[in-house]
Amino acid sequence: MAALAAAAGGLLRLRAAGAEGQWRRLRGAGLLRVLVQPDSATGFAAQRRHVAHFTFQPDPEPQEYGQTQKMNLFQAVTSALDNSLAKDPTAVIFGEDVAFGGVFRCTVGLRDKYGKDRVFNTPLCEQGIVGFGIGIAVTGATAIAEIQFADYIFPAFDQIVNEAAKYRYRSGDLFNCGSLTIRAPWGCVGHGALYHSQSPEAFFAHCPGIKVVVPRSPFQAKGLLLSCIEDKNPCIFFEPKVLYRAAVEQVPVESYNIPLSQAEVIQEGSDVTLVAWGTQVHVIREVASMAQEKLGVSCEVIDLRTILPWDVDTVCKSVIKTGRLLISHEAPLTGGFASEISSTVQEECFLNLEAPISRVCGYDTPFPHIFEPFYIPDKWKCYDALRKMINY
Amino acid sequence: MAVAVAVAVAAAAARVWGSSRGLGQAGLLLRRSAARGLARSLPQRQEQQHFPSLDDKPQFPGASAEFIDKLEFIQPNVISGIPVYRVMDRQGQIINPSEDPHLPQEKVLKLYRSMTLLNTMDRILYESQRQGRISFYMTNYGEEGTHVGSAAALDNTDLVFGQYREAGVLMYRDYPLELFMAQCYGNVSDLGKGRQMPVHYGCRERHFVTISSPLATQIPQAVGAAYAAKRANANRVVICYFGEGAASEGDAHAGFNFAATLECPIIFFCRNNGYAISTPTSEQYRGDGIGRGPGYGILSIRVDGNDVFAVYNATKEARRRAVAENQPFLIEAMTYRIGHHSTSDDSSAYRSVDEVNYWDKQDHPISRLRHYLQSRGWWDDEQEKAWRKQSRKKVMEAFEQAERKPKPSPSLLFSDVYQEMPAQLRKQQEALARHLQTYGEHYPLDHFEK
Repeated sequence: MAALAAAAGGLLRLRAAGAEGQWRRLRGAGLLRVLVQPDSATGFAAQRRHVAHFTFQPDPEPQEYGQTQKMNLFQAVTSALDNSLAKDPTAVIFGEDVAFGGVFRCTVGLRDKYGKDRVFNTPLCEQGIVGFGIGIAVTGATAIAEIQFADYIFPAFDQIVNEAAKYRYRSGDLFNCGSLTIRAPWGCVGHGALYHSQSPEAFFAHCPGIKVVVPRSPFQAKGLLLSCIEDKNPCIFFEPKVLYRAAVEQVPVESYNIPLSQAEVIQEGSDVTLVAWGTQVHVIREVASMAQEKLGVSCEVIDLRTILPWDVDTVCKSVIKTGRLLISHEAPLTGGFASEISSTVQEECFLNLEAPISRVCGYDTPFPHIFEPFYIPDKWKCYDALRKMINY
Repeated sequence: MAVAVAVAVAAAAARVWGSSRGLGQAGLLLRRSAARGLARSLPQRQEQQHFPSLDDKPQFPGASAEFIDKLEFIQPNVISGIPVYRVMDRQGQIINPSEDPHLPQEKVLKLYRSMTLLNTMDRILYESQRQGRISFYMTNYGEEGTHVGSAAALDNTDLVFGQYREAGVLMYRDYPLELFMAQCYGNVSDLGKGRQMPVHYGCRERHFVTISSPLATQIPQAVGAAYAAKRANANRVVICYFGEGAASEGDAHAGFNFAATLECPIIFFCRNNGYAISTPTSEQYRGDGIGRGPGYGILSIRVDGNDVFAVYNATKEARRRAVAENQPFLIEAMTYRIGHHSTSDDSSAYRSVDEVNYWDKQDHPISRLRHYLQSRGWWDDEQEKAWRKQSRKKVMEAFEQAERKPKPSPSLLFSDVYQEMPAQLRKQQEALARHLQTYGEHYPLDHFEK
């Protein structure tokens, strides 16, 4: 009987964990190696599926926010949501499947703790989720909406762009939906293909009135998410899904804020400025090491953190110092956010530039499945672009 | 061991998936393991989950209903359809005295004055667009009853989400003519700071959320606001107006479904006025109007929108129950759009003048209420004449004043995008200021405040 119950429970947990099982393979990303075993029958080597294209580097334990706890990125998100619901009695969390804990476990335990009127499922309808969230925010209550994958945010595009972003402006500040935050898993994950890998920040960067934020780590995620929730403007918070389990570090248990619209120089350097956000920050960090080791080149690494409104001053200040800029993102090259950065920097820092600004991005294709290793702007492509810039 | 696990898995599957054939699955697993030479004897039967009379009722999580063994498609009942509730006949006579809301004289006069003042304002502002004084206008001709009948049944603090043809709700809530005009002229008195096209009114004080042009976007928003009101125990209903055309939008479907599943105190008020610009209802939907509420699990009613008392009664009862029971209500108010869609439309291109005249002359909410008032001795031709003159004078005065006022400072182009102005935007604001210093003569600066 006990075995039965255990097995049933196991099945339920597995179902609940759903997507999780696949992420187990990514644990300790960077430590896996491709195992290539020659298969004499076919001539094609049998490949162990997936090796991560990045190595997550935790930041040193933060000292100034009190007691910390080891958390991965989804746990850091849960912690932020927990803090929010604890201190703001109007705050509610809603979306598809958030009640049982969410397909990425970001809302585990919250419904039990705060009640079914505060953490609840909605019907399967993104335009409804965001529209509903706007309405809650219009009354002044705090609305935290979850879109299950950033790839599915598009039905809500009208509500976000035509409504949320313009609410305050069009009403002459009579009404606003500033207490709305939309969260969505974002970016490549190894096998997500067209509809579980997208990075749609560029679509929203073109929309005055909203803020768009992408964290690189659990500590950043919690602080930035709390800032988004407390910010008096509607915010979109993209969570790099491949980091949900792969990124682990010490994160403060209590509430803390990381300011929006402030980029972070995570490594100082003198020869080249590298800019990225989300998962890609870890790629360019590694590129910086490679550049130092192989070329003796000193890189300044910047995590942009907020895409809109973005921190022009920090990036320009860096480029004025180094004279070279490389921007990298998974999203396709044309019209990607690197174009905006590149355009602004050449306007502001033209005479400081020693080489054309380099963009290392995804190709102008939908995000492919089996070809992902070739599609992504990995460290070799970034390194190669950097080398060309140095030799320009 | 493997067999015990197989049985356990099957039983677990049975519980999770609700199937009564768990053992059948176990049997299958056993046969497979037998094939691999792992056959064991079957352990004792695990306990069957208790389902009451499995053969009699469907057990599907999605719907339970009853079984039927005859193949039959449900016929959508469009011919007879949902009946139209009314209180007055077309001559303003109460049909069933028990349905008369017995509103006090003052209140009925307020209904009448709101409708007629709106009508007068519509005529003058429509003309002003024709003369190039304002850029755009939308009239409310024929639908005044839907506005005031519903507004009168609400509390003043009930939150209103509208589409764009509900100015009578604001009129009933005593929104001053000066502010209607200010918004249409985009002058310095406009609370909206001149940002939107005419008729995109909003008023925080009167709980009327600012209108936006995209259709039906307000519907799921209204539902969210209702949910928040429920959580706050605010004893407040949210009313959401939209036309029968907007009801075709995905946002409408989203809103209805969310309101029902999340149990929100909201009144969905559909003004079915026969046209979405040029598109008649026969091309807008094929079901029974917006009586699709029951499909979502929403209590619904169809009313004569040109009968202010029918609108009032339905809204009043819907409000009472929505707040008491935390569930949505759908009111489909049948009416007719007598005017053009807007000043950019000439409806003679798609409908006959006779059709329009019928509604204007034979079934108009204002005349029906006037007949009611007159039959009660609460109104007469003298008062009608005096009121027409007075309301026209009020409107003309507000109109002339609105015209004379300057527009807001161009610096207001840049504020309220965010609560705080981002650095990049401030740079752009400064760039415009510098540009105007050099090229100001090419811009209509004389009409704007500094």
